[in-house]
Amino acid sequence: MRVTSTDRAREVIAEMGGRRSGTLTVTIGTGCCESTAPFLYEDFWPGPDQARVGEVGGVVIYAPEYLRSQYPADDGVVLDVVDELAESLSVETELGCRLILRGPGFTTEGAPEACPVPVAGTIGRQVVGELPEALRGFRMR
Amino acid sequence: MADYQLFIDGEHVDALSGETFTTHDPGTGEAIGEIAKAGREDSVRAIEAARKAFDEGPWPKMSGAERGAKINEIADAIEAKAEKFSEMEARDGGGTIKKAMFADVPGAVGAFRWFAKLAIEEAEEVEVPGTAFPPSQNWVRHEPHGVTTGIVPWNFPFIMAAWKLGPALAAGNCAVLKPASFTSITALMLGEVFQEVDLPPGVANIVSGPGGTCGEELAVNPLVDKTAFTGSTEVGRRIMQLASGTVKPVTLELGGKSANIVLDDADLDLAAACVLWGTFFHNGQVCESGTRALVHKSIYDEFLSLLVDRAGKIVIGNQMDFETDLGPLVSRGQVETVERYVQLGRDEVGEPICGGTRPEGLAEGLDPAAFYTPTIFAGVPNSAKIAQEEIFGPVLSVIPYETEDEAIAIANDSIYGLAGGVQSSNLERARAVANRMRTGTVWINDYHLISPERPFGGYKQSGIGRELGPNGLRPYQQVKHIHANPGGTRDNYIHLSALSGNI
Repeated sequence: MRVTSTDRAREVIAEMGGRRSGTLTVTIGTGCCESTAPFLYEDFWPGPDQARVGEVGGVVIYAPEYLRSQYPADDGVVLDVVDELAESLSVETELGCRLILRGPGFTTEGAPEACPVPVAGTIGRQVVGELPEALRGFRMR
Repeated sequence: MADYQLFIDGEHVDALSGETFTTHDPGTGEAIGEIAKAGREDSVRAIEAARKAFDEGPWPKMSGAERGAKINEIADAIEAKAEKFSEMEARDGGGTIKKAMFADVPGAVGAFRWFAKLAIEEAEEVEVPGTAFPPSQNWVRHEPHGVTTGIVPWNFPFIMAAWKLGPALAAGNCAVLKPASFTSITALMLGEVFQEVDLPPGVANIVSGPGGTCGEELAVNPLVDKTAFTGSTEVGRRIMQLASGTVKPVTLELGGKSANIVLDDADLDLAAACVLWGTFFHNGQVCESGTRALVHKSIYDEFLSLLVDRAGKIVIGNQMDFETDLGPLVSRGQVETVERYVQLGRDEVGEPICGGTRPEGLAEGLDPAAFYTPTIFAGVPNSAKIAQEEIFGPVLSVIPYETEDEAIAIANDSIYGLAGGVQSSNLERARAVANRMRTGTVWINDYHLISPERPFGGYKQSGIGRELGPNGLRPYQQVKHIHANPGGTRDNYIHLSALSGNI
C-alpha cells in the first residue's frame, strides 16, 4: 500500500496543522460504521504493527500490517476530501469535511447498475400500516 | 434557534457558536431539521454541568432504589411517546419503522428498566469476611465513578443512548452523551423526557457535533472519570489514547466480521433464514452482523439455492412503511462504501450470485442512490477483502469448508471477535463449536438477539469490557474496600511491630 494525496487533502491537513498545536498523523483503520477509512489525529501513537505508507505536507500516513497485506501493491491509493457530514474523531470533521481514500479498491467507476427487486410502493413522512401482530410485545434488544 | 437543541444542565440550549447542521431523511434527501452543532466549548460546559451535579447535587447521594425509581419514570415517559420516538428514529437514520417499533424503542425502554432494576436490587455495600487477626470488620462498596461520557454511532442511536446513560445513571454517575451527527434527533429528544420526570439538572447532558472537537473533548477532558464508546476500531484506539492522559477507564464496543457456521446437520430451511437475518437485518449496518457464512461442502449447493431464492424476496423501499424490510442506508456515502466492496468482491471472487446493484422500481421520490440490494458472494476465500474488512452493508460472503476444525479456524481468522453463529440440529455439537469461537456472543440456531439482561461485547479488536447483563453496572462503578480495626487495645496492633516496636 502506498498512499498519495490530492491538493485538497493537503489544504485541509495544512489548515488543521494551523489549528492544532500537536503533531498531526494520518492513520488508516477499519471496522464498524467507518469501514476502512483514513483518520487525522493529533499526537497519535502508531501501534506496533503500523508502518509508514505515505506522507502529505509533512504529515506521515500509517497503516497496520493487517491492511497493508490486503492492499500490497503500489496501486495509486489517494487521500482526498469530501464535503459532507461525517463521524469519527478525525480532527478535520470540525471543518465540516472528511478525509477519504480514492483509487483502485477504494472508489468505483462507471454508472451503477440497478435491478428490479420487491419494493414497497409508498413514500412520505407518514407511517404506513402497522406492526405485524406477531411482533407486538416482542422486544428484540 | 435550532430545531433540536443541546441538552445541558437541564436546559435545551443552542451551541455557543450558534451553528447548526441539517439532518436529512436518507431515503428522500428531504431535510428533517436543524441540529445544534456543538463545539469543544459546548462539550466543556456539558462536562462542567455534570461535574457540578455529581459533586454538589443530589443524584449520587440518592439510594439505588431512589435512582432506580427515577430511571423507571424515564422508561415510562419514553414508552408513552413510543410512536413519536419510533417515527423520528426511522426517518432520521433510515432503519425501518418495523425495526424502530420492535427493536429500537422497546429496546431502549427495556435497557432503562433493566438498569433501574439493578440499581434497586443491588446492594451498594456488602460486608465481607474480616481478617482473623486483628478481628477486623470489612466491607466492599460499589460507588459511582463521577462524570461519565458516552459516544454512540448512527446505526442504533436510541438504544445506544440507553446503553450508555442507563448504567451510568443507575450507578449514580452524572453523564454526557454524544450521538452520531447523522442520527442525533432521538437522543436529543431525551432531554424532553428528562425534564418531564424532573431529573436533577446536569445529571444527563446531550451534545451533538463533530467528533474531532465535541467528541474528542468527551474523551480527553480531565473532569471526566470514565468514558464509553461504540463505533469503529480506529476511533476506539484513539479514545484509549485520549483517555490515558488522566487514566480514565474505558469500555469499547467496536467492529466485527462475524462468522455464522452452518454445520452439515443443520435444518437448512431455518439455517438459511438465520443466515439472511444475521446479515441483512438493518441492511447489515450492525456491528455483530454475521457477514461470513461458513457452509459445509456437503450441503453447500442446496444451501446457496435457498439463500438466493429467499434474498430475492426481501422488500426494499420507504422505511416508514411496515411492508418494507430494508430501507435506505444511512447515507449516500455508505452506499458508495458498499459499492466499492462489491467491486472488490467482483475483482477477487467474481460476480455475486445475487444482488450487487442498486434497486430498480422504487417509488418516485426515493433516491435509488440511497439503497442497495441484498448481495451474496459465493466461494469466497477467507483472505478476500470482503471477508476480512467490515463493509457495514448488505453483503454476505459464503465460504465453503470441509471439517469442523477448518470452520472454527476460519471463523477465528479475523482481527475481530464480536459475535458469531452456529446452525445445527445437535445442540451439544453446536455448543462445542460455540465454545471454540473467540467471540463475545454466539447464537445457536438464531442471530442478532441481544437483550439488556445478557452481556454484550467483544474479544480481540472488537472491544474492551462488556455492556448489559447482570454485571452491567460494574463498568460504571468504582470498588472500595473498607477495613476497620476494632482498636481499643495495642493487642490488636501487633503487626505494627514489623516497622518498630516504638511507634
